[in-house]
Amino acid sequence: MEEQRESSKDGVVSPSIAVAATAAGQPPPSSLSRLPVEDQPSSIPKRRQELLKWNGWGYKDSKFILNKNGHVEFTGERYRLSGHVMPHLREWMSKTVGIDLDQKTPAQPELTAADIPLPNINDAFVEELKRSGISYSDDPTDRLFRAHGHTLHEVFVLREGRFARIPDLVVWPGCHKDVEEVVKLAGKHNVVIIPFGGGTSVTGALECPSHEKRMIISLDTSQMARILWLDEKNLTACCECGIIGQDLERRLTEKGYCTGHEPDSIEFSSLGGWVATRASGMKKNIYGNIEDLVVHIKMVTPRGTLEKSCLVPRISSGPDLHHVIMGSEGTLGVVTEVTIKVRPLPEVCKYGSIVFPNFESGVSCLQEVARQRVAPASIRLMDNEQFQFGHALKPEVGSFLASFVEGLKKLYITKIKGFDLTKISVATLLFEGSKEEVSAREKKVYEIASKFGGIPGGEENGQRGYMLTYVIAYLRDLGFEYFIVAESFETSAPWDRVLDLCRNTKDRIIRECKERGVQFPPYATCRVTQTYDAGACVYFYFGFNYRGVANPVELYEEIERCAREEILASGGSISHHHGIGKIRKQWLQRTVSEPGFGLLQAVKQYLDPQNIFGNGNLMIPDSKL
Amino acid sequence: MDGSGASAVPVNGKARTSSPCPAQSSGELRANSVTSASWINPDQPRDVSTLASYKDSYQDILNERRQDWDFVFMTRTRKDVPKYKHHVPRSPEDIKQHVLNSDRVKYTVERLHGEKKTSKAELLKQAEAILDEMAHALSMKSVRGFAFFLIKVFKQLFQRVYVNEEGVQMLRKMMHEYPVLLMPTHRSYMDFLLLSYVCYHYDLPLPAIAAAMDFKGMKFFGWLLRHCGAFYIRRSFGTDWLYWAVFTEYVQTQLRNGDAPLEFFVEGTRSRTNKSYIPKTGMLAASLESYFKAELPDTMMIPVTISYDRIVEESLYAYELLGIPKPKESTSALLKARSVLSDDYGCVHVFIGDPISIRQFSNGKIDRVLHSLEPRYINSVNKDEMKLINDLAFHIVRQQQRHLVISPWSLMAAILMQNREGIPVRQLVKEADWLKRQAYNLGAYVDWPGDLSTDDIIRRNLLLHKNVLTVSDDDMIELKLVRPGHVNKPIKDDILLNAATNLIVASYRNQVTHLFVRDALVALSVNSCTEETMSMDELFQKYSLLERYLSKDFVFQPGQTKQDFDLAILSLKHSGALVIADNFTHISDIAESKAAPNAAIVQVKKSFNKHTTFYSQMFEPFLLAYWVVCQHLLSIPIDVHGRPLPKRAKDLTKDVQKLAIRLLEENAVKHYEILSLDLINNGILMLMDVGTMYKDKRNNETWLSPNSVAVAAVADELGAYIELPSIPISNFTSSGRSLVMQAKL
Repeated sequence: MEEQRESSKDGVVSPSIAVAATAAGQPPPSSLSRLPVEDQPSSIPKRRQELLKWNGWGYKDSKFILNKNGHVEFTGERYRLSGHVMPHLREWMSKTVGIDLDQKTPAQPELTAADIPLPNINDAFVEELKRSGISYSDDPTDRLFRAHGHTLHEVFVLREGRFARIPDLVVWPGCHKDVEEVVKLAGKHNVVIIPFGGGTSVTGALECPSHEKRMIISLDTSQMARILWLDEKNLTACCECGIIGQDLERRLTEKGYCTGHEPDSIEFSSLGGWVATRASGMKKNIYGNIEDLVVHIKMVTPRGTLEKSCLVPRISSGPDLHHVIMGSEGTLGVVTEVTIKVRPLPEVCKYGSIVFPNFESGVSCLQEVARQRVAPASIRLMDNEQFQFGHALKPEVGSFLASFVEGLKKLYITKIKGFDLTKISVATLLFEGSKEEVSAREKKVYEIASKFGGIPGGEENGQRGYMLTYVIAYLRDLGFEYFIVAESFETSAPWDRVLDLCRNTKDRIIRECKERGVQFPPYATCRVTQTYDAGACVYFYFGFNYRGVANPVELYEEIERCAREEILASGGSISHHHGIGKIRKQWLQRTVSEPGFGLLQAVKQYLDPQNIFGNGNLMIPDSKL
Repeated sequence: MDGSGASAVPVNGKARTSSPCPAQSSGELRANSVTSASWINPDQPRDVSTLASYKDSYQDILNERRQDWDFVFMTRTRKDVPKYKHHVPRSPEDIKQHVLNSDRVKYTVERLHGEKKTSKAELLKQAEAILDEMAHALSMKSVRGFAFFLIKVFKQLFQRVYVNEEGVQMLRKMMHEYPVLLMPTHRSYMDFLLLSYVCYHYDLPLPAIAAAMDFKGMKFFGWLLRHCGAFYIRRSFGTDWLYWAVFTEYVQTQLRNGDAPLEFFVEGTRSRTNKSYIPKTGMLAASLESYFKAELPDTMMIPVTISYDRIVEESLYAYELLGIPKPKESTSALLKARSVLSDDYGCVHVFIGDPISIRQFSNGKIDRVLHSLEPRYINSVNKDEMKLINDLAFHIVRQQQRHLVISPWSLMAAILMQNREGIPVRQLVKEADWLKRQAYNLGAYVDWPGDLSTDDIIRRNLLLHKNVLTVSDDDMIELKLVRPGHVNKPIKDDILLNAATNLIVASYRNQVTHLFVRDALVALSVNSCTEETMSMDELFQKYSLLERYLSKDFVFQPGQTKQDFDLAILSLKHSGALVIADNFTHISDIAESKAAPNAAIVQVKKSFNKHTTFYSQMFEPFLLAYWVVCQHLLSIPIDVHGRPLPKRAKDLTKDVQKLAIRLLEENAVKHYEILSLDLINNGILMLMDVGTMYKDKRNNETWLSPNSVAVAAVADELGAYIELPSIPISNFTSSGRSLVMQAKL
């Protein structure tokens, strides 16, 4: 999942705002250049199943339910929406995707040990592993929990079926040395390693190749979650790979710093996973994407540990090996330690939003903002379908006054500005920096927006927009209960092709659904989530009601494949930050050319001739059997 | 190959069917038709005929107009006019501004500025001038006025204008979903007037029509058409890159924004011969580039077939084909043409075909990703895409042909062309009935009212075309001479007058040639065979060769030869025309046949019958004309370099025509069609195509000189299929050096 999906354990909605609050009373940086950072337990326990859903997204306590009044409610108290009723959502669901509340598709009951295949144990390996003292488990649920990521296919299997192959053993190394030991043993005994970080992959990257005959171990990095040191002179921090986003940010915040890397999956995804997939964070306009953030990486490969000898800001030493590691998706080795840039906490964080008469003018505005290089920390543009969805997610309005104000706003936009509610599109903004910087930037952005017919839509709407991102992931689980299959996918495209790409892809999706016998109109929506000098990142959500369809997942995948074909034909990329995994392998060679593909295979062949890291992703050929 | 092979069979279709036919008692044709001659009454347009206003999903749209006031129709509100869903409203002036400010035009201006050192301002001025010349100024006001005028004209000219309403409903839906290209057949000026009128009638958006420059010159009419959506493009613009850029952007921006459905004629120009012309791909390529570059989710091409009982320009075309120049398009000429208003032109059928989606058509055949590496305003349609466009253009023409409405008169014309010296009505009735059945069997829609007797139908049609024929007192039908209305100098030459009549009738026969041509190629091959039997392989070889020779006159889809052939064999077999036997006499043969799957052979003798003879005859004039072209080329004196002096194609065409006139004068040949410049020109193009001509570029024109050996070989091949003129053509050596021919004539 993409970008920010922040938790609010401390009762504060956004870590960014929390940061702003604490930043003021921060002591001056200590004179010690490298601060030791004390160990703290990870937010996600070793036994993940105690906190997280076994067959859906996120925390067990947080989910959409239909309450006794027949309205949709979000449970728990982790999120701002928790405990709230969304009175418009039910109608939206039945109107948009034809949900019928009487037609349910409940999931199968939780799998028990009896349902899970016996592990394929390589005794010699386990014998030596035991001697090394590294923690491991062959508990069936531990293994099942690490057998998948969160693609539609995987979650559907959890709800309806069985995986053909799951890891045979879960291993929890505690440090870099442990990893070296495990990799050495795996090589010695010809055992497959699949590295596992936060488990939020949406490319099928964690799935075990079904024909793999060797023992497969899932190398869970969650116990390597320390910040080894923080260097305030050079503004870098050395962290172990298993630290998850929310822990990293929170602990740096305590010291007055942040990395500013906030992918949507920040609650669950790990630093090592970010590196392995070339992740992107929503505030990259200020902090950069993962490739801009890393200073040093240690990766354990079957050939030994791959790293550079210095901690320098830039180096000319032949092709940058970081770029071989980043995006390697666990095919070459395990990332164990990462030195990452940190920044002092910003003084101010402020949300904002702009309402545009239509999506086209919104895209033009974003392009102009990018051209002038005045983008705020984050700027995203929702299309009308997503705006409508956001609207449907509005919780009950408490007071008479609040509903009155709502009504006035709507009146202003439709009657005075003449906007068509079925066309408007909304940009959400997040500004960060010093007070002066933020207000100057705000002024500039709203100025540009007004040239494209955009009018400020208020802070509240901006904040709601960012909330919407993480909510959709939970919502999919509700959809599953009512014949809905849904998924998201992303791409990047040059500016001049963004609009056509969005339009063509949505059209293709709708048309393929129709031609393939989907009985209800599908939900296809997109937004522009990142802007660059030369283009933008576009994110699609697509779901449909599969009542009357024999094989929904296969159909879904077939249509997503068509959508990707359309994206590529429209000048878009194979992926902006999700990666290739298994589901996009078919287009990799076309994307990187034949020599490029051969190069990747040659790297694999040198570093891992035995295919120990045999997760079947990226350039690894599908096993022939 | 023995050239006289064809003459061994009874070549004349009449030979088998004509029996001494007692003269019909009724001498006067008019008296014999169902309704009296007064059924065309311009003063009483309400009660025009007994023809059904609704039939086989066709609905007459003139009927309502005969019941109400034209003025009311003209001023009524148009409801629910469908619009492309991503359309942003803009005026014709906005479109022009967009083109001038487009990346494509800017890029071209930059490029030309660098290459030619012309100032940018000057280039921009040129671009603006091109655009002013090109752009339409579609306005509803003019359209309404024009509709008022059109409805009056149509009511005068036509009895019924039928439209398939299902097609209209489909079109209405499509126009909302995707940009639409309307691609009608082009047989008459009436085509685009009719189609625009149909759009007006059904509250569809009026199309922007790509028109040739000729109209622009007309004072009032040119202006009016421009305001009704016509935009003018030059016939060819070679390497005028600025023109290319302006033109391409002008077309594409309208398509992308769905300003109006785009209408153009894939045949490029009005077909003077009533056959489909070989399609042109320029407009199609310019329109589809947007899809190839993923600027559009899809584009829908709608083949539209407009079938006329009688074409308004029939005699104009005949004289044009003979080389008597057509008058320049002018308003005064148009007014003079008002005389045509007093004539009856029967019915019109407009068939709106199934949409062809470029997405579906191109699926798996092209790789749009290739365009990712360049800005999309740089012209680049690659080889695969050009091939696709070419296939598509042929496919569209074939789709248009599928929905041609075959009028009884076309069938009659096909029979008349084989009985030019006259045929009794009774026999014509019989023959027409036979030919109708063949047409049905080939899947044609024949406009044959079920509630009338064949005799009535034939007589009605004779009446409709009384300008080219007479029915004598003893009920013999004979062609009569047609005097051109537009040529000031009276033409005395009987050959030309005869030719004109023949070309008019031939043009109606041409309306059915697309049905029979594939079967005919098989028939010609079989009829030219001098052996007892013929193997399938040999038959296919001959078929392929003939297809190649005829491919400039008839539309054969590239790469479909085998399928077409198989289908023709099947249809001939099923109608009993082709007798095919498996030559197994012993069990052992069956075993062998596994090795040779094409063991089936044609029994040649048994396959000489009415079908094959009739079909062969129908296409004989074409092959004969090519043969005459060859004879002329072979008679050109050889230059010092061992080759005939090169000539321009158009001069060659004229020279061939002169030879053809001589042959007709000497009564050596009877087919007046060989005088058709179009046919002769196609013969030359064919010879270029099969590689028998040397080509030179001089002053941007192609100069041709024949490779005599190769041309002689083609002439020999052609001679095998047809009955050759019985004039003594002596001493033709294979080197083709003989000059005797010219001396004899």
